[in-house]
Amino acid sequence: MHTPSGNSHQGTVPSTPQEVVRHGLERMTSAGPLFRGTVIVLGALFALGIVGFIIRASQGFDDRLPWGYYAAVFGYFLTTAQSAPMVAIALRAVKAGWRRPVARVAEMWTVVGVLNLLWFLPIMALVPTIEGRRSLWVTRPIGAPHAWDLLVVLFLAVCGLGLLYTSALPDLAAVREKGSGFRQRFARTLSSFWRGTRLQWNVLYGGIALLGTFYAMLLVFGHALLSTDVAMSMVPGWKDAIFPAFHALSGLQSAVAVVIVTLFVLRTWGGYKEQIHVDQFWGLSKLLLAFSLLWFYFWFSGFITFWYGRAPTEQVLLRYLYFESYRLPFLMAFFLNFVAPIFLVLLWNPFRKSILGPTLAAAFILVGTLFDRIRIYVAAFSAGDPFADALEHVPAAHLPGVPDILIVVGGLAGAVLMYMLAVRLIPVMAWWELKEGLLLRRVRPFLRRHMTVVAKPD
Amino acid sequence: MAKRSVLGLFKDADSAANGVDALKGLGISPMDYDILTGMPYPDGAFGEPHTQHKLFVFPLVGAICGLAVAILVTAGTQLSYPMVTGGKPILSVPAMAIISYEATLLGAILFTVLGIIFESRLPRMQLGLYDPRITEGYIGLAVSCDERLLGTTEEALKGAGAEEVKHN
Repeated sequence: MHTPSGNSHQGTVPSTPQEVVRHGLERMTSAGPLFRGTVIVLGALFALGIVGFIIRASQGFDDRLPWGYYAAVFGYFLTTAQSAPMVAIALRAVKAGWRRPVARVAEMWTVVGVLNLLWFLPIMALVPTIEGRRSLWVTRPIGAPHAWDLLVVLFLAVCGLGLLYTSALPDLAAVREKGSGFRQRFARTLSSFWRGTRLQWNVLYGGIALLGTFYAMLLVFGHALLSTDVAMSMVPGWKDAIFPAFHALSGLQSAVAVVIVTLFVLRTWGGYKEQIHVDQFWGLSKLLLAFSLLWFYFWFSGFITFWYGRAPTEQVLLRYLYFESYRLPFLMAFFLNFVAPIFLVLLWNPFRKSILGPTLAAAFILVGTLFDRIRIYVAAFSAGDPFADALEHVPAAHLPGVPDILIVVGGLAGAVLMYMLAVRLIPVMAWWELKEGLLLRRVRPFLRRHMTVVAKPD
Repeated sequence: MAKRSVLGLFKDADSAANGVDALKGLGISPMDYDILTGMPYPDGAFGEPHTQHKLFVFPLVGAICGLAVAILVTAGTQLSYPMVTGGKPILSVPAMAIISYEATLLGAILFTVLGIIFESRLPRMQLGLYDPRITEGYIGLAVSCDERLLGTTEEALKGAGAEEVKHN
């Protein structure tokens, strides 16, 4: 171990590849009472969520109104957990050196893609046919919208898991060689062929780049397609070309927020203080600031069109989605996604360059996004007849019942539970990237101090 | 002559590079040795030739296949069941774009996964000569050589600074 001088990293960091692996394995295998207690609580909440789902399912799928909160959780998973790998993809693409402890933390969220795939199946029964209503599918191709929506959700999960697996291969090989018990058996099964040859490393780099690119392309497309099919097209008269882009942008904002909060939890309670420093929070807070400003820009661009359009349908829609029925979720989202993170935290340099500041802003955003997805998806499921041309009157808001609360809380608990279980099997830090960082970093004298020099290979 | 595998274990990268030089001195072809590392060293760092793979061809082929299927599905159904919508042509590109984009991506993803498997030489049932210390920073030099060159190769690797040399 050594303490680097002359750079912004603080604390003691593992300074050899051996220490990186040893420390990582220690963290993977040590499960304290806090971890076990959290897993039990989350498991119990998830079980309650299943109870909520069973109650809803027992009432059938003919009436889609009671399923609004269920659909909102689907939209929330898509916006947060499934968007989180974008942080790893983008930071790897620009070869940001400070990404090394961040990348795996971000792409590990792809495991929730499996839960969201299962979550989507009942929604297929609730989305009406495109016959006789406005939708993206103007020529009514075979399978639209259900099959094509399902394929997007399926391939998002497949591509995400492929990305996680490819990137985790060298670390699984380390667990295979140095781990023990079920972890070692699991790692041996998945990485039995990995030796770390030149060809394997090159294929790994290429695979990560390709799957990352395709994941990004599919995610943005998925946001556009699913937000249109499962939300916008179900509200009569809601025609907004900016809304799908807003949904995707909101996903990028939430992706950064999810990663910041996860980093904070891992640093504070997960034993990763040595790897996660203020550098990571500072770097991500700049992205969060940019995406929060864009959140407002995209929201306002969509809103102003309706505001000045003033057609009767548009006025009803504004009252429905913003000013009457779903006013509270809208105000909460506006405050927590834009006002609070920017004006209370991210605008101020000392807060931005800290660990607590970006975490607070990220927590605001995650709560705000939940309110926003509830506003969008619950409104879509309670707007009445999706085959009508326009909303004649402002429908009432659909307030959550006990099963809805169980479903929302249980769903969120299930996603976090999946992540926590995944980090017991797959290293949550990309050891090989940390080791590569050590290889490419040297502390060199510079005038009367020392500075860290980082090499960037082609 | 039967082929034998030899693994030289080096504690540092400089010695491993010396090991590669020693193998070149013995006239061993680059096809017959490989460098095993627990972290990615820049290509050519040990003096070895650049490795080539064809991974990038796979998504291209997949994307073309996906696009072809998409065009077949969309154009085929629209021509089989012609239905004029909004006064637009039967085969209108904007209407076909969604499925074309999606199917192209799906094909590319599927073939990329297949490409990673194929280019990584999977499925491989046996790991071959390996040492757990490689995951902790040691560098392995795996050589495939004729049985008669076994002793010379081991000597060359030891001479270059290998901490341990194993063979099967």
